[in-house]
Amino acid sequence: MNEARPKIIGARVQRVEDPRFLAGVGRFTDDLKRAGMLHVAFRRSDEAHARIVDIDVSAAQAMPGVVAVVTAKDIAGAVRPARAESRMQNYHATTNQPLAVEKVRYVGEAVVAVVAESRYLAEDAAEQIVIAFEPLAELTDPEVAAAEGAPLLHDEAGTNIIALREFERGEVDEAFKSAALTVGGRFRFRRKSPCAIENRSYLAEYDQGKRSLTLHATTQVPGIIRDALSEALDIPGHRVRVVAPDVGGGFGGKASLYAEDLIVCLLARKLGRPVKWTSDRLEDLMTTTQGFDEIVEAELAVDDEGKFLALRADILGDIGAYSIYPWTCTVEPVQVVSFLPGPYRLPCYRGRVRAVATAKTPLGPYRGVGRPISTFVMERLVDMAARRLEIDPAELRVRNLVVADEFPYKAGSGLVWDRSGFQECLAAAREKIGYEALRQEQENARAAGRWFGIGIASYAELTGIGSRIAAAPGMALNTGTETSTVRIDSTGSVTATFGIASHGQGMETSLAQVIAEELGVRVEDVEVVHGDSDGQAHGTGTYASRSAVLAGGAATLSARTVRENVIEIASHLLEAAPADIDVAGGTISVVGTDRRLSFRELARAFYSEVGRLPHELRETIALEATKTYDPFFGTTSSATHIVALEIDPETYGVVLRRYVVSEDCGRIINPLIVDGQVHGGVAQGIGAALFEEVVHDEAGQVLTASFVDYLVPTAAEIPSMELVHVETARPNNIGGFRGMGEGGTIGAPAAIANAVTDALAPLGIEIDELPITPERLFRLIERARKKQ
Amino acid sequence: MNGTLRISLTVNGVRHEKDVEPRLLLADFLRETLGLTGTHVGCEHGVCGACTVLLNGDSVRSCLTFAVQLDGAEIETVESLGTVEDLSPLQQAYREHGALQCGFCTPGMLMTSVDLLKKYPLASDEEIREGLSGNLCRCTGYAHIVDAVRAVAKARVKTGDGGKP
Amino acid sequence: MKPPAFEYVAAGSVDEAVSLLVQHDGEAKVIAGGQSLVPMLNFRLLSPAVLVDLNRIPGLDGVSEHEGGLRIGALTRHRTLETSEIVKARFPVLNAAMQFVAHLAIRNRGTIGGSLCHADPAAELPTIAVLLDAEIEAAGPKGERVIAAQDFFESALSTTLEEDEIVTGVRLPALPAQTGWAFEEFARRSGDFGIAGVGVTIALDGNAVAEARVALLGVGQTPIRARAAEKILHGKQHDAELIAAAAQAAASAAEPEDDLHGSADYRRHLVGVLTRRALAAAWDRAAEAAA
Repeated sequence: MNEARPKIIGARVQRVEDPRFLAGVGRFTDDLKRAGMLHVAFRRSDEAHARIVDIDVSAAQAMPGVVAVVTAKDIAGAVRPARAESRMQNYHATTNQPLAVEKVRYVGEAVVAVVAESRYLAEDAAEQIVIAFEPLAELTDPEVAAAEGAPLLHDEAGTNIIALREFERGEVDEAFKSAALTVGGRFRFRRKSPCAIENRSYLAEYDQGKRSLTLHATTQVPGIIRDALSEALDIPGHRVRVVAPDVGGGFGGKASLYAEDLIVCLLARKLGRPVKWTSDRLEDLMTTTQGFDEIVEAELAVDDEGKFLALRADILGDIGAYSIYPWTCTVEPVQVVSFLPGPYRLPCYRGRVRAVATAKTPLGPYRGVGRPISTFVMERLVDMAARRLEIDPAELRVRNLVVADEFPYKAGSGLVWDRSGFQECLAAAREKIGYEALRQEQENARAAGRWFGIGIASYAELTGIGSRIAAAPGMALNTGTETSTVRIDSTGSVTATFGIASHGQGMETSLAQVIAEELGVRVEDVEVVHGDSDGQAHGTGTYASRSAVLAGGAATLSARTVRENVIEIASHLLEAAPADIDVAGGTISVVGTDRRLSFRELARAFYSEVGRLPHELRETIALEATKTYDPFFGTTSSATHIVALEIDPETYGVVLRRYVVSEDCGRIINPLIVDGQVHGGVAQGIGAALFEEVVHDEAGQVLTASFVDYLVPTAAEIPSMELVHVETARPNNIGGFRGMGEGGTIGAPAAIANAVTDALAPLGIEIDELPITPERLFRLIERARKKQ
Repeated sequence: MNGTLRISLTVNGVRHEKDVEPRLLLADFLRETLGLTGTHVGCEHGVCGACTVLLNGDSVRSCLTFAVQLDGAEIETVESLGTVEDLSPLQQAYREHGALQCGFCTPGMLMTSVDLLKKYPLASDEEIREGLSGNLCRCTGYAHIVDAVRAVAKARVKTGDGGKP
Repeated sequence: MKPPAFEYVAAGSVDEAVSLLVQHDGEAKVIAGGQSLVPMLNFRLLSPAVLVDLNRIPGLDGVSEHEGGLRIGALTRHRTLETSEIVKARFPVLNAAMQFVAHLAIRNRGTIGGSLCHADPAAELPTIAVLLDAEIEAAGPKGERVIAAQDFFESALSTTLEEDEIVTGVRLPALPAQTGWAFEEFARRSGDFGIAGVGVTIALDGNAVAEARVALLGVGQTPIRARAAEKILHGKQHDAELIAAAAQAAASAAEPEDDLHGSADYRRHLVGVLTRRALAAAWDRAAEAAA
């Protein structure tokens, strides 16, 4: 290839998605209308844990515009309830009924579906339903639920601890006995809700003639949903199609199979009319899977020079009422225990995690999935050790971060870090923020009575993971491959089809960039088709920071194959050797001559002008290629966040003054998109650290049931950020890409927790609970002052 | 059941006469009755700002307004700003600066930006952030949105016009 | 979250609005800006049979001079108050408070009448009304009356307005010349309801306090005038310890409750901090005005 030609991969290309979103002509699921379409409203449980004694729908059925009122009894036998099976030991799957059967297990669980001519009318009718509940034992506190003899949420499991996993490497207890210093604590990360601005929405259509089902859904995982629906509704996959149209954010909350997916499909088939349900925000805050609900007791053993010797941790994950499909309830808790050792050299590690069921909204994947918690804990331990040893926290990290010649490094939990810039990111972050000068600024501020804190968080994660590593262990779910089909049609237009489902990541642009560069066309010549289960035989979707690596890799392979075929066909048409043919910017030419072809001309010759090519050629070659890519392992991504903040010493309000992210993200496809992902992740991380908390009372009622009480940060709370992209050796995957969608939420809570602790160091306060709210600071400060 | 009332109003320069149920929210009137789905619904309690439109030139929450109240009113929605083929300078600025990702909050964010640019000098980032604080975005972390609005505010100062952003 | 069904009438006059309220005997609610009412309808916390729209009543908005102070029509939008030059000149503390009110789209629609009638103790306008000893004009079937702000707010989200009355305006009596002012509020995010807030005016006579007013936001069932704090300041000269004592008294006057965003103890603590800051700022402004 001509090295002098401007690169498309790496260019700051304006997104091809943008015009339709800006002009207000995107097509989100709730925008879709179908003739005869009906609307659903649910009557949901207002009890957290109760037996259903009676449901009286008679008044509801008589309300205007009501077409059907449906309970579990009415759909029994029409649907196989979902069970997230896994071969993991010590795991109990739960039966997830679309409408509650016999008992309810969280406030918000759907009990009755009302179908009417409009959502307004459906809600009117839902209000008229009378449900008699017999309350059962309160099971809101995870430690109470985990205790021996606690009342059971799921009788069939025989326990509330529905998953248990342990890792151990090295002589852990020995190391602690002989350590010069041990630091430890009990860390609490409290629940979050992903809160995509678009609420979940599903529109099901059943074609009575073909007996086929089409579901338009706000989903990140159309392939998974298609496979699940086929199983649950007993319809062969070629008659089930799941389409994610434009989707307004997901962050993991749209990555599972929901009751509502199943119910709208059942209703459409039963009633013979299209059926749509769109969540409102109240429902979203009660039923969309939540995240980050973990209690971690952890200790770090260190020698007198600050070398990390051993880590041990006991983790309790509050996973709510059900083990969600397909990831299982372990998706978050197991990642906490797997990633806890972080990017550090740590010979000895023991981690145990228990996932306990409680009468709350089920836990699912939320951006970062376990790593925000593991990073919070480990980075707090590192800072605690630094303070006790009187070593600068950055310096302590330098002594313990894995260095270049140690890669690949096997962490205590068994996962392997491959080459990534752990040390380089820390160094670059220190330089960017002007670390020494900042510490001086802190001294001056402290002298003036100001509470100024600096916090560091270094982390590593696995992105773009291949088939060797399971996102949730023991699942019959392949998240490790992606398939791409690149096709040039008879008009010469290029279409690339994937199983991924972009929902804000700009994949229509970034994948077009990859293909444009590999194939030799312009970005605007490539139409990326995604979000449709019909697109590939097997596909899962977009989650776990995988699409750039996996789909980008598959796109590279398929585009390269098509390019070869283009050249071969062109060599016939242009009467030149393949080696003399160049493809660039949509033109195929013989180097050094003015003999050229457009893609349109080539396609016409190949497909339609039958005499122009040897006829055997069409049987052996195609202007289309389908390739699957499996990176097998994963790609290590890493970053360091450094934050400088100030706390008002009287009101305890926290203001973020500077925020630096230095990350090793491999080969960047589109810097505008990459920066946007970092900003967005950090903003959610700031939300997790300072503002957001799903609060349940003892009875399991959701107290944060609106945006007045669940506080998503606004533009006024998020500081401007300084980003540094560190170039280290390219990761060993096709394309050299790294996933980087989740880093922001992983690093920010830890960095902020460390900075607040640093600001409050004169009072001896250690932050071990997130979010850090003014109220919590008030309590900590009052207590610390009483002690002094 | 409740009767409907007739309203006559202008939306994006086009006059409409419709019979509406009193409780029909303006957001639903735009989306369902008129098929203008560019205005999005995110919370139905006035906090997220996704539903923001202009009512007689002022930004308002269409989820907190009843269509029946708007007889004689002039509404402008995101569809009035530009088209896919011909984006307005404000929309172009959003695109250039990467100020959108999933696009769901974008219409409300744009309509708020239009009103902010009209009413406030937006001379500092702090002022821009304050002005945008009534529109939630979960994807962008706001940085690029601030960049886009700042650029438009600066350009407006240069050209010296309060012209259509 | 769709609202329940209701009938709708756009009232053409205050009399018409009142008659409708009388006619529907407690089953009707008035709508002005709707920024507080409509969320409650969307959450189905309220189900009025009839909504009486006040937005078409001519002359119900507007800011005008009144006996040295100002009279503000009930339908005056927050945005109007925010940008009003005469409000800024006569009652800068009200202008300052408007900066904390929600966001532009809410301010474009929300009205002072609506805010006062909604009576959220964590909202700015009820607190300012109590600070400024506002007089609230009401019209009902028995005629018109004026209600002192102190007597208007009964408890959280509840006023002494009768079911068949509507608020038509708010009178703000003139403040003494050389009045310093300050408004401090602490909220979780920009535009949120305050966890605690304080509005202060200080009028000086020479170097001594002729009149001090301290009104507390978000720390009781209604806005609270911290009278004991005001007494401490009366007749005194500028003194840091005095200010601290007054702030302490204000904290004691607060009657906060625990909720999701702050405990009673923390709110009380905030009152002390914010009052001290507000008093210091207000006193400086008063001294400047005198100079």
